[in-house]
Amino acid sequence: MRIPLRRRNWERSMDTELRFHLDQQINEYMGRGLSRAEAERRARQEFGTLELAKDECRDQRSTEWLNHGLRDVRHACRSLRKSPGFAAAVIATLALGIGANTAVFSLIYSVLLKPLPYPAADRIFAVETLLPRQNGFSSSPMRVQDYLAWRKANTAFESVAALTPAQWNLTGDGEPERLGGALVSANFFTFLGATLELGHGFTADEETPGKQPVVVISDSLWRRRYSADPALIGKTIMLNAVPRVVAGIAPPSLLVPTGTLLHSTLAFAPRVDVWQPIAPTSEELQGENWNYGILVCLRDGEIAERGRQQLQAMLNGSIRAAVPDFKDELTTRLVPIREIYSSKVRLRLLLIFAASGLLLLIACTNIANLFLARVAGRSTELATRVALGAGRARIVSHLLMESLLLATLGGAAGAIAAQSGVSLLVAYGPAELGILSAPSLNLAALWFTLAVSLTTGLICGALPAVAVWRKDPAAVLQDAGRNALGGRGAMRLRQGLVAVEVALGTALLISAGLLLHTFVNVMAADRGYAVERILSVDLGLFDARYGPGPRRVAFCRELIQRIQTLPGVQAAGVIGGLPVNSGTSVTSQTILYVTDTNLPAVAMERPVALIRSVTPGYFAASGVTLRAGRFFDETEPVPAAIISESLAKRFWPAESLSAIVGHPFRYGDTNGPPVTVAGIVADARPGALDRELPPQVYRPQSQRAGGAMSLVVKTAQEPGGLASAVRAEIRKMDPNLPIPAIRTMREILSRTVAERRFQMALTVLFALTALCLGAVGIYGVVSYSIACRTRDIGLRIALGALPGDVMCWVFAIGLRPVLAGLVAGLFLATAIGRALRGLLYGIAPTDPVSFGLVTLILLTTAIIACYLPARRAAQLDPTIALRHE
Amino acid sequence: MLILKVAALEPIHGYAIVQRLQQISKDALQIRQGSLYPALYRLESRGWLKAEWKTTEGGREAKFYSLTREGRRQLESETAGWKRLCDAISLVLETPE
Repeated sequence: MRIPLRRRNWERSMDTELRFHLDQQINEYMGRGLSRAEAERRARQEFGTLELAKDECRDQRSTEWLNHGLRDVRHACRSLRKSPGFAAAVIATLALGIGANTAVFSLIYSVLLKPLPYPAADRIFAVETLLPRQNGFSSSPMRVQDYLAWRKANTAFESVAALTPAQWNLTGDGEPERLGGALVSANFFTFLGATLELGHGFTADEETPGKQPVVVISDSLWRRRYSADPALIGKTIMLNAVPRVVAGIAPPSLLVPTGTLLHSTLAFAPRVDVWQPIAPTSEELQGENWNYGILVCLRDGEIAERGRQQLQAMLNGSIRAAVPDFKDELTTRLVPIREIYSSKVRLRLLLIFAASGLLLLIACTNIANLFLARVAGRSTELATRVALGAGRARIVSHLLMESLLLATLGGAAGAIAAQSGVSLLVAYGPAELGILSAPSLNLAALWFTLAVSLTTGLICGALPAVAVWRKDPAAVLQDAGRNALGGRGAMRLRQGLVAVEVALGTALLISAGLLLHTFVNVMAADRGYAVERILSVDLGLFDARYGPGPRRVAFCRELIQRIQTLPGVQAAGVIGGLPVNSGTSVTSQTILYVTDTNLPAVAMERPVALIRSVTPGYFAASGVTLRAGRFFDETEPVPAAIISESLAKRFWPAESLSAIVGHPFRYGDTNGPPVTVAGIVADARPGALDRELPPQVYRPQSQRAGGAMSLVVKTAQEPGGLASAVRAEIRKMDPNLPIPAIRTMREILSRTVAERRFQMALTVLFALTALCLGAVGIYGVVSYSIACRTRDIGLRIALGALPGDVMCWVFAIGLRPVLAGLVAGLFLATAIGRALRGLLYGIAPTDPVSFGLVTLILLTTAIIACYLPARRAAQLDPTIALRHE
Repeated sequence: MLILKVAALEPIHGYAIVQRLQQISKDALQIRQGSLYPALYRLESRGWLKAEWKTTEGGREAKFYSLTREGRRQLESETAGWKRLCDAISLVLETPE
């Protein structure tokens, strides 16, 4: 209230001052003997236009631009209130575009840009080895020996840490529970720069075997199970039926690699709750176990490449020490820790961001078009204002103010929409997103929204403003606004905008089509095992009670017998790790001919396969196709194996599949009894189909009892209903065995394709929105151009044009820019398709189905958008149309 | 510059400024009265003039302008600049042909 008050005072003081001046002048003239009226006339004449002088005085005030600005805002508000439909349409469109972008940017910021919560985040790397020959894996994690060697050596790295996945069954004090965790080097927490919430953590000598086992547990486990009891430190908890001392509580903010983030063959649990020091036994140190993730922290100021070469030299040195004539050279690779967390989603996130950017561009084009139409409708008003003395700059600033105001409102609405959007994205997106991003907007995203809103406002407002700037007000007034901004040039401009909109929309729709088609292919692909009507339960038989031997086998056998008696069960079996989860920790071993004697010498030339233990029922339950030979029987007298087709073809390339059955081979060890091939089955592929699994070797569980097992049940009906019955059977057999979620195979599969689905669903959503916007844009342009030429059309009809002719004419107006845009969009889409190539499955980047369908959908939409105004035009009554003003 | 000069002598109101300027320049300078005030307001907003309301001899309220310290400095520098320009022009004009 102060500003208007001060303004009034100011005005009054100016009035008094000018009045005083005039009065003095009048007095003077009257003193010279003029009449009062004459004196007044002379004084005014000499003074010039009083109001003009006042205006110029006002302009001298330093705050005047602010007043102009405020006036523009008020004016903009007023004129927008008068057309609420227009304002609502613009705000809604912008809220959509800006909201989508803000939500996606918020994710991009937290996943790709925000600093990681490690003090030395930019100096931490994960180490992996590139294998010289492609034998199943393209790269591999490291060995525990490497950790021990590198820790001692003087290198460019100040510290080295190791970690490998582990699982435990927690019993005692309540429900048995399965916990995911890791065996880590004793320095793990200090390495990451984390301070334990409680407790002292590990000491270096706890890395030796035989010590009293200690663990650090996560904050969430501590709160959930022990109600944050500080006295837990120093007490023991039962993990795998072995008591372990709790040495510390990890801070809640600790970020560690979960799932297969660290390496595709290292499968950590989705949530890490327990850490225990590694304690490599002498047997482990003899073997070749490439199952350790190693993290290194570069010394300040050191060059990563120098460190990498040092590690590589040590690695090759250690291998040559064992195999002097080893010819190949292993290459080490340093992966920045940020890539560990973001590389899996980076490309998809950026592509989604690009899609949302396209959507915003389309929205902008649409709004610019709306603004053009609006300005055209108001051209008489604007021209009148120019003629009455409003500066062109003022008019343009007024128009810009209007668009900025709308953009700001749209941005605010967008930010609100984005808030719920982000929590949806984090909830339904792939798990990797949830690790790094909180389900809410961050400050960076809000700044981004502000910047995008203002830019959008300027872009949308600039076109009509330029159109106004270039117009001669006199001409506009003469034309009485009918043709002014709806004239030929402006019409072409608006059609151009529609063409741009259609081009961008086509590109977006085709990207969506490609991803959708890919997703359909992925879901329908044959993975070598059945997906429908399969129920799966993870059994963690880790306890000392089950040991590695017969007790475990007996348990599985009895469980399967019990399950098979349940109504609706067709088959049941157990397998070590489901192939659908590519990252389950299954032993991988080098496959050897029986003639091989020196393992290290041939290790790099032999294929590597995943060794899985199964019960005979697994193949029937999982619907695996037999290519040659036979499945397992209940009792196998001699060591037998079923191998996957790709292994058979690689290992015995010269022989037919049926001839391979009966061949002996060894794995992992040149001594010991050879294993005979009993059968050959189709290859298994991971759920996500993002890469090929290494070949598989299945061993009967009676001959080789694996670690983590999964029960697979084939059901006659919907498998979900059987879950509680299966759970009850397991409980009856062992009340202390934790049962994690019982899931259907479809659910598991759906989880593995979460990244694909996430990108596909968002892109399709954006594309459909773009399609709607495009339809509105076409409709708007066609309707408007008809409104501008009502008289024209009326005349044509009066002169004998048939409704069909009029409709053709209208269609020509509408479809010309659509066709141009479509062609441009198809070209754009081939380029985008090439960029998407790596994410497609089973289709070419120029997939004719996607391209064809999108073209069809777009043309249909365009024709519908044109048809409505065209019909209206054709039905015009010429007598009314001719009088139209 | 001229307004600053006039206001430098004593606080003075707008009408008097016009009178004074015409008087000093012996009517050679005709100021359009209407454009005086925008100029005054500009000088005021730049901080070269300050204004206060006083009563005139005739007993009416009028706005009197006087020079601020900054305005005085401005006047000096502008006067110096103008003198230099005049000197330069006269030098050129007085060069024998």
